[in-house]
Amino acid sequence: MTDSLEAIGITVRYGGNVAVDGIDVAVPAGRMVGMVGANGAGKSTLINAIAGWSRGTPVVRGEVRLAGQKMDGLPPHRRAERGLVLVPEGKGIFAELTVMENLALVRPPADTRGRHAFSMDDIFTLFPRLAERRGHKGRMLSGGERQMVAVSRALRAAPAVLLLDEPSAGLAPRLVHELLTTMRGLVDRGLSLLLVEQNARATLELVDELYLLERGKVVAREAASDMKDDPRILEAYLGNLTA
Amino acid sequence: MNLTQQVINGLVLGSGYALVAIGWTVLLGAARLVNFAHGQLYMLAAFLAWAAMQKLGVSYFVAVPLSVLALGLLGVALQGMMQRLVMQQNLTSLMIVTLGFGYVIQGSAARIFGGDPQTFASPLEKASVHLGELWFTWQDVVTLVGTLLLFGVLWLVLNRTRLGALVRSVAEDPKLAQLFGINAAQVYIGVFVFECAAVALGAGLVAPRSPILASMGFDEVILTFVVVVLGGIGSVGGSLLAGFGLGMFTALFGALVSPAYTTAAAFLVLLTVLVVRPGGLAAR
Ligand SMILES: Nc1ncnc2c1ncn2[C@@H]1O[C@H](COP(=O)(O)OP(=O)(O)OP(=O)(O)O)[C@@H](O)[C@H]1O
Ligand SMILES: [Mg+2]
Repeated sequence: MTDSLEAIGITVRYGGNVAVDGIDVAVPAGRMVGMVGANGAGKSTLINAIAGWSRGTPVVRGEVRLAGQKMDGLPPHRRAERGLVLVPEGKGIFAELTVMENLALVRPPADTRGRHAFSMDDIFTLFPRLAERRGHKGRMLSGGERQMVAVSRALRAAPAVLLLDEPSAGLAPRLVHELLTTMRGLVDRGLSLLLVEQNARATLELVDELYLLERGKVVAREAASDMKDDPRILEAYLGNLTA
Repeated sequence: MNLTQQVINGLVLGSGYALVAIGWTVLLGAARLVNFAHGQLYMLAAFLAWAAMQKLGVSYFVAVPLSVLALGLLGVALQGMMQRLVMQQNLTSLMIVTLGFGYVIQGSAARIFGGDPQTFASPLEKASVHLGELWFTWQDVVTLVGTLLLFGVLWLVLNRTRLGALVRSVAEDPKLAQLFGINAAQVYIGVFVFECAAVALGAGLVAPRSPILASMGFDEVILTFVVVVLGGIGSVGGSLLAGFGLGMFTALFGALVSPAYTTAAAFLVLLTVLVVRPGGLAAR
């Protein structure tokens, strides 16, 4: 099996602080890889570094390959053109733009060989609610609807590998399940997905493989089925949810 | 006092205020940038148009577009110099730097064009219309219609086109815009060029009303602040409303009380409005 995404030896520093310390990640084609870890473990820093984007000014080292092609040094939108698309943590859409304007900002890339280019119709089939909200500004949407717009925006860019950072933050459990199941459906149709998620149960049920991060390092990497029995996961991660 | 005549005067004055201010409105609202050389750019544009007419012998109708073009190019140059500050959205430094530009522009203009008042004459200023008791010039008509057109087109572009959505996205979150492949630096240049070109158009239409001086510009920038703040920062429609409101107030206050205190009175109105509606007239 070929890896769609390979990140090798990623190290990210903020000033003197090492937030990500030599992490390797691989996302096989058509698979869903989950990444979990406590607050501050470095998940967002890592996924942003893979996308070549950040709100801060980190120093990034390591190598990122998309289907074997080197991405290092490319700005985020050049990586997106090649199919490596990020939905960042938190605010992923423009509050002062309508749903349609948010989605229309993305120009689907010219060359989408081997990738699915989502039309507006595809998007509205996937998220019927957005069709009704298309004229609404971002700030008038619910948290769940905002996430749908953020994900849709990424899909408009015809991702080969989608990087999703906590899409379910602040959503009701039923919505989380709905959103992640939708994502799983896309993976089953060929998308490769790297998912950072705090919602343990939903994640474990859906992903093919799971990484556990602690203080900037990968401390466990296993098939999801095995991770369910891993005491480190149970303690570090499921503990606070089953409580 | 003829009330209808004062209303006409107010509309003409107000469209001038709004036109001179529109660049600042867009700059601040759409790009969160400031340019305190605004008044000196107004002065420079008037002198460039005047010089084109005097030295190149071109007509007013060629001189004004030339000066708009020249100021647009100057906008690219100024923005190029401030690129780093702009990308960091460092408003305090931008304020100081643009104030500095203003002084440099003013000094250079005094050196090149001299310190004497000059007549920047528009042929439309001499073509007047008399309707019974009422009186206005074709310059007034062009200023009013031009302002309304520019505001209309600008509103449509900002709110109804992809380009407008692009500008608004950068204003809201340049970092996020980067993820969409939007080049914030280019958007900033575009907005800055618009500001410079718009103030040149304002100068071309408004400055012929009175003699031009290399030392002018302060009143223009002060009135621009009033319009921008009164209208609600960044609101295109609000600026138009505020411009007309201020023009009307100035005309009526000048006629009823005294033209000498209109600026002070205008600020009094501004302060009152801001106490009642801190977000300006257009605030939601
Ligand atoms: N812009 C920044 N500047 C400086 N340090 C930062 C910045 N962003 C993150 N960090 C630091 O990097 C470390 C990792 O943060 P990161 O946001 O990647 O964690 P996370 O695993 O995504 O946490 P969470 O679950 O809360 O989202 C933290 O110690 C944080 O303080
Ligand atoms: Mg995070």
